[in-house]
Amino acid sequence: MTIMQDNQKPTVSSTAELQREVAELMIECLNLEVTADQITPDAPLYGDGLGLDSIDVLEVALVVSKRYGLQLRADSADNQHIFSSLRSLSDYIAAHKTR
Amino acid sequence: MTSPVIQAAWAHTPERSNMFMLRVMSWISLRLGRRAGRVVLHLIAGYFLLFAPASRRASGDYLGRALGRPPRWRELYRHFFTFAATIHDRMYLVNRRFDMFDFEVHGEDMLRRLLADGKGLFLLGAHLGSFEAIRAIGRKDTNLRVAMLMHEENAQKISAMLAAINPEAVQDIIGLGHIDSMLRVRERLDQGGVVGMLADRTPGDDTLYPVQILGANANLPGGPFRMAALLQRPVVFMTGLYLGGNRYAIHFDPLADFSTVERGQRDAALHAAITRYAALLDQYCRKAPYNWFNFFDFWQPAPATTPPNK
Repeated sequence: MTIMQDNQKPTVSSTAELQREVAELMIECLNLEVTADQITPDAPLYGDGLGLDSIDVLEVALVVSKRYGLQLRADSADNQHIFSSLRSLSDYIAAHKTR
Repeated sequence: MTSPVIQAAWAHTPERSNMFMLRVMSWISLRLGRRAGRVVLHLIAGYFLLFAPASRRASGDYLGRALGRPPRWRELYRHFFTFAATIHDRMYLVNRRFDMFDFEVHGEDMLRRLLADGKGLFLLGAHLGSFEAIRAIGRKDTNLRVAMLMHEENAQKISAMLAAINPEAVQDIIGLGHIDSMLRVRERLDQGGVVGMLADRTPGDDTLYPVQILGANANLPGGPFRMAALLQRPVVFMTGLYLGGNRYAIHFDPLADFSTVERGQRDAALHAAITRYAALLDQYCRKAPYNWFNFFDFWQPAPATTPPNK
């Protein structure tokens, strides 16, 4: 399991508050018919978990990078991990957000 | 996502026959040359006509709609032959043997004006004629290099095939299926590049939109249009129609421009774009009937509305 290889900062754990905020952002941009409470932090975003497809995930990536001032790059080996669950995405935001 | 979702009919029809054809044609093209290869094409067309009843039925069903009357055997044969001929010619196009062909090009000025903006664009094709003919346009300047976006499984097969024909062609394929591919698409566009997609089939679960093509209902995947809307880029339709002999007619048509479409208007713009795409397919199917290469039951009733899966 790769964990933040090219990350200069130490791994930061996200708070429940941030996870909720990110969940609400996802629900809003994808018009998901669930509430933030129903999204389990460790359930996969793809497939069986939340059931997002790759275009949904792109949309989340665009919205999240705009909201938190993140730079997501195609050649990063971490992308797979970052977008694996709400928790990992929130952890990444906590560590890298610039706003 | 409030549109109906059903399983795509063709998801159960792997591209097996296409890949087999590609292998056979690759061998023939490279060993025997185009003229000799075309003799073999007749054998292949005959084989499909006689021994591929499902494809023959699909061809007959389609031609009946496109021609407006029941097709003759000769016309079914011509349909298969056209398919085989374009796959055969693909070998030469990938190898940049543009000198062997006669291309007439429509709409290139419009395409170049959009490219000049430097924001990149999506080029949407179909299994209609030869999308590979785009390489003939790109020969004049290397700026027009199209990165093809396709389903991961097909991407791997096609990459392997292209590697065998021309290793330089391989880097132009982006496999769909994880976050990186999406970011690569965005980077490509940000550099002013072109991203190509074939938008008439879906390799699995995708939101399907009912449309009218050749007077009957069919369902088109929303994915390619959603992506263009999300990344807010212009979309141009492209087809390279095979006219017989060594002649192709390449058509570019403006399809949609999502550059200024905000989130709230996205669904309406997306619907309009899919409807326009369906109208272009209809138009070119009537214009060049033998260029339609979806040899499966493409025409399906509108999906029953089911609750969104999200």
